[in-house]
Amino acid sequence: MENIIEVKSLAKVFGNQPALEDVNFNVKKGETFGFLGPSGSGKTTTIKILTGQLLQTSGEAEVFGVKNSAINNGSYRRRIGVLSDNSGLYQRLSIEDNLKLYCDLYDVSKQRMEEVLELVNLGNEKKKIVSKLSKGMTQRVLLARTLLHEPELLFLDEPTSALDPANSKQIHEGLRRLNEKGTTIFLTTHDMSEAETLCNRVAFLNKGKIQLLDEPKALRRQFADGSLTVELKNGQFVTLPGGAEGAEEVYKYMSNNEVESIHSNEPTLGDIFVEITGRELV
Amino acid sequence: MILSWKRIYAIFQKDMKDLSKNLFVSSIIILPIMMAFLYGAMGEATIDLHYMIINLTLASVTAFIQCAVIAEEKEKHTLRGLMLSPASVAEILGGKSLVSFILTVVTLVVCMMITGYEPSNMLIIVVALVVSMLFYLALGTILGLLSRTVVEASVIILPVIFLFGFGSMLMLLVEKVPALSFIEYLPNIQLIEIAYDVEAGLGFGDVWVNLVVLLAWAVVATLATAFVYKKKEMD
Ligand SMILES: Nc1ncnc2c1ncn2[C@@H]1O[C@H](COP(=O)(O)OP(=O)(O)OP(=O)(O)O)[C@@H](O)[C@H]1O
Ligand SMILES: [Mg+2]
Repeated sequence: MENIIEVKSLAKVFGNQPALEDVNFNVKKGETFGFLGPSGSGKTTTIKILTGQLLQTSGEAEVFGVKNSAINNGSYRRRIGVLSDNSGLYQRLSIEDNLKLYCDLYDVSKQRMEEVLELVNLGNEKKKIVSKLSKGMTQRVLLARTLLHEPELLFLDEPTSALDPANSKQIHEGLRRLNEKGTTIFLTTHDMSEAETLCNRVAFLNKGKIQLLDEPKALRRQFADGSLTVELKNGQFVTLPGGAEGAEEVYKYMSNNEVESIHSNEPTLGDIFVEITGRELV
Repeated sequence: MILSWKRIYAIFQKDMKDLSKNLFVSSIIILPIMMAFLYGAMGEATIDLHYMIINLTLASVTAFIQCAVIAEEKEKHTLRGLMLSPASVAEILGGKSLVSFILTVVTLVVCMMITGYEPSNMLIIVVALVVSMLFYLALGTILGLLSRTVVEASVIILPVIFLFGFGSMLMLLVEKVPALSFIEYLPNIQLIEIAYDVEAGLGFGDVWVNLVVLLAWAVVATLATAFVYKKKEMD
């Protein structure tokens, strides 16, 4: 499948502080690619480099087959949407006035504005002044603005970090629908369940390096130790190792008709992250 | 390069709405108008006096408003959104300059009405003022790009207001210290010279040198703006 983003040996040094080191990955057309990492691991730096807001120290980054240094000129800007962790809105203006500006800049109809406002659940609040909005509402307006021109490629830097579970869920559904319609999504997060529900593939970023890159399912399988947790009818939980020893135990419980339920102990992405990096994903 | 009027106008409209709610910045236009009232009440105004107010308007309204609206876009991280959109540098800065330009024209007209300034050759004065405005717009843009916050912008603009707004007082200094004679070439002083020549009945044929000096200031400042913008385009 066609690569929309290609990154080779990318490195960024601020002063003498390395922020990214030898980063390599590709994002395929139509996939949702997750960049997982704790604070300061280099997620925003990567997005800035890919969207032409920052130049790398060395290595290559191409988007739509074009070098990132050239993404600023030309028609590429219309094809990408960027929600950065420091995107801003005009505080004294209403939600509607903020979006109207972008409708004109991108040559998009006001009808489309109503659509995106519905998508982020702000259809009835568009007259509100931005400075009066909660953090989560502000984040949703920014997301609406990013989606306004229906970009082929979305860069979302922690899109739901300020949202409550209900709004996050709605945004996730919206993003999944966009992805189904063919939008490629590059997403950073330190929310592993977000990564699990949305991403086709995830990369673990730690201290500027990619530690692991695969499909969430494959990772969980790879790091599963084969152990089972058996819930007994008397309410007790027993964890059993994989292999013959565990199998014998399960056989015993089952023959005695003591089993209420059995679960395989697949690790979460968060567990794997801790195992690989020794760091929590916060 | 093809400019999109739609995009320029969208940015202009947004800024007008925003400034109407931003008294910290927009109330600066009261400054020259107050001065005009004060001096206007003192009786027959001289060319020096008319131009003290006009130059003050150019420095405080044109340059400061331009500087402040750009600094605020940086402070609130909204400039990045514009840069990532299809709007070009020229469209972004054009839309913003249009706001400062229109507010300047309104302020100038009000002030001239108050002090009763009626140039003998309106066309020359309008040309000189428009070229001057281009210089002050570029200067304001540069300072706005260099400052990180609106507060910083309102500090960084003070020397500009002092130098250009009250520059005619500096001329007294030039008479005493010949080494400072380059001050004569400053755009505010050039503007006053044009005004004197116009009142003396001279035409374009006589003031063109001063107009070229003004234009040179505007061109150099515009090139400097492009340079600073390029530098600031990347984080
Ligand atoms: N402009 C800059 N100048 C100097 N250092 C910077 C700059 N931008 C980022 N850094 C440093 O680079 C490293 C990576 O920062 P980055 O913002 O990419 O992290 P992040 O993964 O996005 O973190 P978060 O989850 O907190 O947003 C950090 O150590 C940060 O201090
Ligand atoms: Mg970040």
